[in-house]
Amino acid sequence: MSAPAPADAALSLRAVGKNYGRIRALDGLDLVVPRGSVFGLVGPNGAGKTTTFSIVCGWLRANRGEVDVLGEGAFDPARHRGRVTALPQDSALGRDMTVVEQLTHLGRLQGLGARETREEVERILALVDLTDRARDRVRTLSHGMLRRVGIGQAFLGDPELVLLDEPTNGLDPRQAHTIREFIAAQRGTRTIVVSSHNLHEIETVCDHVALIDRGRVVMAGPVSAVTGRDDEVRITLAEGPVPLTETRAALAGDTAEWDEADRVLTLRFQEKPGRAAEDVTGAALRALLAGGARVSSVARGQSLERTYLELPALPPEQKP
Amino acid sequence: MFGPTPIRDIGLVAGFELREMLRSRKALAILALYLLVAAFISYAFMDFLETAQASLRNPAALLGGDVRGPAAGRRGLVVAPSPPDKPSQGILTARGSPFNRVIFSRITDPASRDFLERQPPIMLFFAYTSFALIPLLIMITAAETLAQEHQSRGIRFVAMRTGRAEYALGKGLGQAGLLGAVTFLAGLLSLGIAAWKLSDFEWSAGLRSLVVFWPRLTVFGLPFLGMAMLCSMNTGSAMVARVAGLGGLAGLFVTHQLFQKYQESSLGPVLRVLDFLAPYSHQDNFWLPSWQDCGPEMLLLAGLAFGYVGVGLLFYRRRDL
Repeated sequence: MSAPAPADAALSLRAVGKNYGRIRALDGLDLVVPRGSVFGLVGPNGAGKTTTFSIVCGWLRANRGEVDVLGEGAFDPARHRGRVTALPQDSALGRDMTVVEQLTHLGRLQGLGARETREEVERILALVDLTDRARDRVRTLSHGMLRRVGIGQAFLGDPELVLLDEPTNGLDPRQAHTIREFIAAQRGTRTIVVSSHNLHEIETVCDHVALIDRGRVVMAGPVSAVTGRDDEVRITLAEGPVPLTETRAALAGDTAEWDEADRVLTLRFQEKPGRAAEDVTGAALRALLAGGARVSSVARGQSLERTYLELPALPPEQKP
Repeated sequence: MFGPTPIRDIGLVAGFELREMLRSRKALAILALYLLVAAFISYAFMDFLETAQASLRNPAALLGGDVRGPAAGRRGLVVAPSPPDKPSQGILTARGSPFNRVIFSRITDPASRDFLERQPPIMLFFAYTSFALIPLLIMITAAETLAQEHQSRGIRFVAMRTGRAEYALGKGLGQAGLLGAVTFLAGLLSLGIAAWKLSDFEWSAGLRSLVVFWPRLTVFGLPFLGMAMLCSMNTGSAMVARVAGLGGLAGLFVTHQLFQKYQESSLGPVLRVLDFLAPYSHQDNFWLPSWQDCGPEMLLLAGLAFGYVGVGLLFYRRRDL
């Protein structure tokens, strides 16, 4: 018998497998999403992100493994309706009803009362900036507007877990920014899982991330840990002197690696009481500047994109 | 399989399905199709009545000779003096008339014969043709209802909010509501045409007859709707669902025909069981006079409808969406 899901997990998948005929879409996928987190799911096309979402939401059945949603077993509308919602990828709402009718229907189905649904629909329409199109038929909406209706329906009521598959796909930059801000603001109030190819978006919005490839999780954890923000500072230097010996001496035990090609000095350290990242960075910068180095930039860790691209398991042709 | 409030969910889905069909004009298209056919057969029936009436006055017309009456006028033949303006249905219903003998010759039970003779002929004609048309109409229009949502994946928005059984039953209930409404309106149209064309048509008798046959026609359609839902639940595209539905309909019809032909053979017992599951085998009982006689058959057909839906749900609850 396998170990139970962690008590603070909103979502837990253990050794989940899914085949489409002879194609193995998920191959023993393990994933734990902490409650209250904004969790990013990243991977190349065909990595298994949408299949993972579909199994969590009960649209697809896993061939093997265990899924636990909100600590109550696999998804079941009787237990989870209104508490777990999703924005599916490439799913179309009925085209002949109006936006407000569609949202009202979905709100009522998830158990809201008539008055509560009315208020919720008004709130959601304002959130996705579609109040002026509320009475229009869905067929008259643009792709971006349809996406916003899809996002809106996922936030009807007060769901505990929301799964969003490519939420900003097709939105203009301003709308995408608004949606990202909204998602980030949900941290701590509900659990949100976002699947996206946009690594910058995931890095901006999410506090946890899992990198998936070929149906398995190849790296997972807090974004700060995955990108090295917790224990790594990268200092880029312009042409000029590089006082490595003096800098290493100033770090008192922490390591400093010099990459001549990129002219990046990477400091690796363990934060301790009385010695935070800022203290390490300050000591290194003082030594560098005293030695005549010309500092171009300082960054904690590396971008999620670089982390992703440096994963050895990913063949170059599959990287986004 | 069911959520915490299945009845509420089924009602919500059924109401939305009906509104969506009306909004998409799908219901209107179905209605138009059925009404068109009802109007066509009603006109054909009136034409038959006119010719029959003329032939009674001029028997030679039956042999292709002299024709009198309104039908003759249309054909540009010899017109009898002072023909009646409108045909009468009395020539069909009058006991002892040659048409009455032909039409009711196969009905030996006196009570049934008396019951049918009291119905306006137009309603008998409408019911008879509807028994043949309704299954076809259902398979063409209702088989796609869920399959279309599988195709567009729109089902994924609702599958997180209600059980699959509630959703399928709600959809089926919406379709049943549409079937009832369309059948009733088509019956009314037939009566309207009869009132317009017949000299001795009585609205009260026509409406009474409609109230007798409308529920029977609707219930007769339910097992076919159940089969359409079965196909719709377990297919991924509207076209495949429709083809599967029409194939199933053909299968039921062939089963019934095989039973009729080979019921005395060694295959008889097997065919009898299969035929029992086919709505066609219960059709004759829908002409019986009293509700006590045809009521059990109606319940049986409603049960058969649930049976088809139930079989569909066995697979539907486990399939990927």
